[in-house]
Parts: sequence; structure tokens; C-alpha cells
Amino acid sequence: MGESRALTSEAPAPLTARARSGFSPFPDGAAKHWILSSIIWLTVVDLFGLVLATEFVTPEAFGGISWLSFSRVRPSHVNGVILAWLTMMYFGALFYMLPRLVGTRGMWSERLGIICAWAWNLMYLLGIIGLLTGHSQGREYAEFIWPIDIALLVIWCANIVNILATVAIRTIRPIYVSVWFFIASPLWLAVDYAIGNVIWNPGNVWGSRSGALSSSLSDAILNWWYAHNLFGLWLTPMLLALTYYIVPRVTNTPLYSYTLSLVSFWGMAFFYTGVGDHHILQSPTPAWLKTIAEVSSWMLLVPVFAFTINILGTMKGNWDRFFTNLPLRFTMTAFFFYFLVNIQGAFEAIQPFNKLTHFTNFVVAHAHLALLGAFTILGMGVIDYIVAQVYQRPLFSRSLSEWQYWLVTVGFTGFFSVLTLAGFQQGFAWQDGIPEVNVLPQLHAYYIARGIFGAMIVLSGIVQIVNIGMTIFTNTAERRRAETYKVADAVAPPVTS
Amino acid sequence: MADREDRPAADDRLPRGWVRHPSERMLITPLVAGIGGLLAFFTVVAIVVWLPIHTFDPPASQDWAPLSDVALKGRNLFAQNGCYVCHSGYSRPQDVREALYFLYPKVSQPGDFYGSDQSPNLLGTERTGPDLSQESGWHPNDWQRAHFFDPRFMDPKSLMPDMKSLFSDKQVDQLVSFVEERSGKSGLLRYAGQLYAKHVVLANQGFPEAYRGFQGAHKKIVESLPDSKLVAPKNQLEEAPNLSQIDRSYWLAGDPLPVTEGNLLRGKIVFLERCVGCHGLKGDGKGPGARFLSPPPADFTSKDDACCGGDTGPGDFYYRILRGWPGTAMENFGERLSVDDIWRVVLFVKTIPNGTLKPNRVPEPKDYIVWQPSPELLAWVKSHQTLPTNASFQKKVVTDPFMQEAMRVLPGLNASDHLQLNDTARTPLSLTDAAAGIKALYTDMLNRAWADAKARGEKMPPDAQKDVPPTVPGQQ
Repeated sequence: MGESRALTSEAPAPLTARARSGFSPFPDGAAKHWILSSIIWLTVVDLFGLVLATEFVTPEAFGGISWLSFSRVRPSHVNGVILAWLTMMYFGALFYMLPRLVGTRGMWSERLGIICAWAWNLMYLLGIIGLLTGHSQGREYAEFIWPIDIALLVIWCANIVNILATVAIRTIRPIYVSVWFFIASPLWLAVDYAIGNVIWNPGNVWGSRSGALSSSLSDAILNWWYAHNLFGLWLTPMLLALTYYIVPRVTNTPLYSYTLSLVSFWGMAFFYTGVGDHHILQSPTPAWLKTIAEVSSWMLLVPVFAFTINILGTMKGNWDRFFTNLPLRFTMTAFFFYFLVNIQGAFEAIQPFNKLTHFTNFVVAHAHLALLGAFTILGMGVIDYIVAQVYQRPLFSRSLSEWQYWLVTVGFTGFFSVLTLAGFQQGFAWQDGIPEVNVLPQLHAYYIARGIFGAMIVLSGIVQIVNIGMTIFTNTAERRRAETYKVADAVAPPVTS
Repeated sequence: MADREDRPAADDRLPRGWVRHPSERMLITPLVAGIGGLLAFFTVVAIVVWLPIHTFDPPASQDWAPLSDVALKGRNLFAQNGCYVCHSGYSRPQDVREALYFLYPKVSQPGDFYGSDQSPNLLGTERTGPDLSQESGWHPNDWQRAHFFDPRFMDPKSLMPDMKSLFSDKQVDQLVSFVEERSGKSGLLRYAGQLYAKHVVLANQGFPEAYRGFQGAHKKIVESLPDSKLVAPKNQLEEAPNLSQIDRSYWLAGDPLPVTEGNLLRGKIVFLERCVGCHGLKGDGKGPGARFLSPPPADFTSKDDACCGGDTGPGDFYYRILRGWPGTAMENFGERLSVDDIWRVVLFVKTIPNGTLKPNRVPEPKDYIVWQPSPELLAWVKSHQTLPTNASFQKKVVTDPFMQEAMRVLPGLNASDHLQLNDTARTPLSLTDAAAGIKALYTDMLNRAWADAKARGEKMPPDAQKDVPPTVPGQQ
């Protein structure tokens, strides 16, 4: 035992007695399907992003290919990031963590989880093909046509059933903080998705006139309430849930405070739900609604700080592992960006700042701070962690993981800085009365830099695919053992007598 | 601690290092997380979704107008193809600037979004391109078609994707209809002015209608009738109809900047950056966008025009760049170019006949062709540039929106001017005729859109709202 621990010291600690012998007691079939699908989606949506970045530099780069037109690729990129890459990663992580947290052998139905993963992949592929060929409802973040919406919602509800049933058959009575979010967050999003996509009004099923509220401004209010809650009630709570799992687990430290996690749970439920209107803060929507959105955006800092203190408290005395343990480093980097995005978001949600930055690349930078800096980097770390656990072996290559980390971190930081500067340049230029098209040439250098940094992010995703693929298809533990014996033989040849 | 002894197995199953919940502080049960979480959620949803949707129903604003069937098809195309990701659909208070040339002439009002044909919302959250809520009428339809085919034809600095592979001829005309009808009554009024001005320009020079859809991409540049068929009426300057679209104080204005190499070079740079899509790399009016346009873009290569044309003075060029030429694809550059740069372009344009657009050719002051007004022009100016009839000195404020629009597209006309076009039919040209014509076009478009929307069963305000006259936001 001592020997094998030394040889695989980078691998996270095995779980149970059975796990130590190299076999996981958990089937993890559903988790594998969702997680491995998500890795592929990450690169697909990254490549969409790269297409967009290229078109900002040379708008005719893909001239003549209608399905690579900017206006069609961008909704595909946005929808794909949120509901293909991140959602599949989150469900994969959930299907991995939930049985371990509630003490069951796997999910209530692993098979249902696997079927859902295939169905989700298929529906998503169809949805994206639809968007690229001009079948869209034309409501931002809710572009998928009605049949796809319904299919996704059905799969989503099947996942909810699976989750709730697993919780119901649990053997550990008290439920851990992460499980609170695992229960509540999918429920929130199911309702959010159904209302936000106006599913009771199919419109034209091919999208030629979308089903929306008949009053345009009400539709906008609903649209942005829905869009923000994709982040507020699904992506963010799941980030919290995963961080609440990974940090105590990797550092072998109890959570700092349960009371603070209560604050973060209920604060999120109450304050996150009402901020949607800050996306259209200067549109002719009711003033009182804007006030609620602005106040809620600041009140949000309460659960955010509660979460921050809780995680920092747990990390106290454990920071050495930040440097040695890669999943933890990914998680804490994401945690830092998550904190930043909330501070930034609070400022963006107040009128004076919004006047300057709204409609500019500052908002694009902000969106990427959340979706790339926080959620994606977290996802990458969680996947590295889970794959090692599920396959009961260390990852194929530590240095590939390091490359993955630095590519995405440097790439994202550059990406974010460049777009923030570009946003200020746009904002101040517009304030001076300079029209949009005159500002575009000034942004050219920023757009080139953004493309380069974006390429680093794409590369990071590809590195992960290689690393995970090699982990699955080769036996790293065996390879390491052989290498070690080789070295040992060279240093101290076996005594032959 | 009794709990611990009861179920030791559960403890084993806990991950190492994991603390058990303190049993005296059982924090949240699944029921509380699920039901409680949803209750909290629905409480807020009731306030921020249900309440505004059921209480916020502003009546139609005075400016609101419905969309015709064709425009609605265009709107669906606009939504389906994601145009809203770069073009927002409302203007904010700080977007509106008091100037002569407007992209954002007014702040969007809640009532502007009345009517179910405004759904789904197209508010948008990013502006890589300009807001389009008030785009109607700033550009004529042939400009829009060329711009959809390839935006660089019309604006070399644009980053907009070309739409030639996205839309059929029919679809692009639907999109153009949407863009020209989306801005409510004030937009329809502007577009009516644009259409009327186009009639004037086409009739005066004998040009055919522009090609429909993307057909221009495959056709020849349109040509006007031969000069023999276009004879100016007696006692009227040949260029008088053209001059009627230029404020008369510019008719004889000289270029305030000196003819220096620096000014000319800057003029050339700006020309190459902004003008070659239509006017061509040779300045001969045969740029890639020219085939879509009727009338086609101006040809600057004639020495004769440069020195002695009736409407080719520096002031005329300056005014057309500054405010555009309604009825033609010449748009206003007043917002995009500084006053000095416009004058520099004007200086440079006067050197084009001497081959200054050739690559690596630095325009020199000796290339500059000095413009001399002809005696006929001087006589025309003398008879038409009299203070008492100058519209700027009129004490009586014009309140009729159609007359305001007529004055916008025909700023060189006085109320007392009654001219004729050069066509054989001798079409009359005066502000009153123009106002009547614009009103007819406006009323026709509004009636058609109103009838279409009613037939579609859209949510409509009372019919009386239709008769509320349009306003000309921010004008003069």
C-alpha cells in the first residue's frame, strides 16, 4: 500500500477500502457519459468562438459559407457554452458526486442517466444545426426552436427524477451543502427554462415567427430574466456546489461553516432571481423593475461574500495544495474569477457605470469572466479530478494538465483584459459622440489579441481531450510502475547471486 | 452521540476528513431545499416577472406604426439570423445628440414597442454595429441592398458579415422593407422623403429604377437618358433641380482650407478609406457597389465637371458629404468625418481628373482644378439667393411634418420656388408639391401596414391613432 501510494502520489486519495484495490464501488456510468460528452462540446463551442474572433478581425474570412456567418455562429456559441458544455459537465459532476454524498451505490438509475446523455447530445446537435441554418426563435439565449426546447426540457425533467430518487434512497440522512444545490438548482432551471422560452406558445415550430409574449417589452423582461437566471440559478449554484465538494474533499478539511453556506443558499434563491432587468437597464422598461434589479444585484454580494469567506476559511492552512494539486488549483482559480465577476457585475448593474459600458465589449469581457474564467476553468479541474477517480488511476500526464491550466489561465486573463480595455475605449468614444463604425478600426488591435488569446483557450481544451483520452485508453499507473522499476533497476540493480 | 453508535456503517462511508452534520443543527432537508427553494424562487418571480407582465402595458406612442406583411417577414428573418447580436433595438437618452445629422434622433419610448408585431423583442445587448431602432429612411432601398450583399461596398470600415449567401432576392427585399418600416411614423416619414427624393433624382436624369434583390450583382451599372432627351426648361438652370437639394448658402462656397500637399494627401486617405466602395478606386463611379445603385455614384474623372459644373462647386460637394444626398445612395458623413476632413476630401476630389488616385501618386497642389462658377450659375444664384425669400429668415415656424420633411430633402428650395425637372414630362418641383407627394407616400405606406396588421389580427391601438400626424424628431 505504501509503495503504490508513493507511486501515484498525484492521484487524489482513493475513497474506500475497495477503491484502494483499484476498483471503484460506484458504477459512474451516467457521470462518464455526461462528462466525456462535455469535453468534446467544450472544444466545439471554443471553435465557434474562434470563428467569431476571426470574423472580428477579417469579416470575410469565411465569406460565402452561410452557416459560418457571424450572426448564426454567435447564438450557437452562446447556447453551446451554457447548455452543452457547462450543463453536461455539471450533470456529469453531479452524477459523480451525489451518490458519494448521500451514500448510495450510484444514481437511482444509471441507465436513465446514460440515455439522457445521448438524448441531450442528439438534441443539442440538432439545435445547433438548426441555428446554423437559420432556424432560430430570435430571442437571445432562448434561440432554440420549440421542438428542441420541449425535448431538452423532457430530458432535464428525467434528470431531476433521477436526482430526487437518488436523494430519496440515500443512506446518509443529513444532506451536505452541495446536495442542497443539486436538489434546488435543476428544479429552478426547469421552471426558468419553461417560462423563459414561453413553451406554452410554440409559434412556428421552425422558428420563422417565434413563440414569445405578444407585448415586446414584456417579452424582453421575460427574456432577460430567463437569460440571467441561466447563470443565477443554474451555472452559479452548481459552481458553488462543486466548489463546496472539491475544496473540502481535496484538502481533507471540514467545511469552515455550515451557517455561512445557509446564507449563500438562501441569499442566492432570493437575490439572484430578480436581477434580470439589469441587462436592459436603459431600455423603456418600468423604473421600479430596474430598481429591484439594481438593488438585487448589490444584495447578491451577501451570498457571494458568505461563499467566499466559507471557502477561504476552509482553505486556511491548505494553500500548499493550491500549488501541488491541479484540480484544486483549477477550482481556486475559478473561485477567484467568480468573486471578481460578482463585484464587476454589481458595478455594471448601476446606472452611471452601465451608461458607459453597456453595449460595449466590456459586457462581453464580463460574460467571459463568468462563463470562461469561473465556470469553464472550474469544469476543467473537476473533470481532471473526476476522471482520475472514476477510472481509478492518475491522469496520463501531469505536464499536459499544467499546460492545460496555464494555457486557459493566461489565455483567459489576456482575453479578459483586452476586451475590458476595448470596452472602455468604445464606451468613452461613444460618449464623445463618435459613431460605432468609426470606433471599429481602433479596436482592430484588440480583436487580433483577442483571437490569439482565444486560440490559447481552444488549445487548452484540446490538451484536455488528449490528456483524458490517454488516461482512459492507457494505464498510467502501470506505465509509471514500469518506469519506476526501470529507474530503480538502473540505480540499484537487483542483486544477482 | 447516540446517532453515531446506532449507525457506525454510515460513518465509514463518509469520505475521509469529512465532518458529519452536527445532529443538533440539522440544516436543510431535501424537502426544504426543493420546496423551500422553489417557494423563494416563485416569490421573486411573482414580483419581477408576473407583476410587470400583467401591469406594464403602455399605450401606443404617437410615433408607433405597425409593420406591413412584407416587413414582418423581414423582421422574422432579422430575428432568425441573429442580426440582434450586433444591432440593438432601442436608443438610450445618452445616444441622442443634437446635431444636424442623426442616427439616433430620439429616445425610445415604451409606447414605441406597442403591438404584437414587435414581438419577439429585438432589444439586444451589444452594439458592434449601430442601433437600428431608428434606421428607417436614412438610406434608400438600393443602398440597403448593396449593403446587405456586401457591407464593405457601402462602408469599407464595416465588420458586418456579407449576406449574399444568406438570403434570396425576395428575402433581402423583405429585410429592406423591415429596416425601412421599423422606426414608427417618424421613420416612415423619413422613408417617404427618401422615396420622393428618389423620384425627383431619377426623373430629372432619366435613370431606371434600381434592380430588385441582389440582381444588381449580375447587371450593368444603370445609365441615364442621353442628354438630348433631357433639356432644361426655359429660364431655368440645367442644374437647378440638383441644386435644390443643397442649402443655397453652399452654392458658391469656396474651400476654406488651403490647397497644400498635406491637405490633399489626407483627403486622398479619407477618400480611399470611405468612398471607393461606390465611387471606385479610379474615382469613376464604378466601384463594386455601383451596380446596385440607381442613380449610380458620381464620376469624378471629368476635368470639365471639376472646373465648370453647375453643381460641382466645393460647397456643393461639402454639403453632400456632410448631409448626404437624399434619393441617392450618398449618405451623410457628418457624424463620421470631421469638418476639416470633409473639406480635405473636397479638395482632393478636384484633383482626381489629373490621375491622383493612381497607386503611390501623391496629390500635389498643381493637380488641383479650380472651380469657376459659370455666368448662368451666377445669374441663377443672384435670382435665387435673395434674403427675403430665404427660408432661414422666415419668422413663421413650419409645423406641418410633411413640409418639414420636404424641406429636409430639398433644402435648396424656397417656399416661393416653382421649378420643373429636366424630364420631358416637366414634372413640377416645389416644396408644396414635395410635401403633398411625401404625404401621399407616407399615407399609402401607413395604410398598407395598418391594413396588413389588422388582417393578421395583431394587437392594435384604436384606429384614431393612425391619424395622429408623424413628428420629425430633433429636426431643425
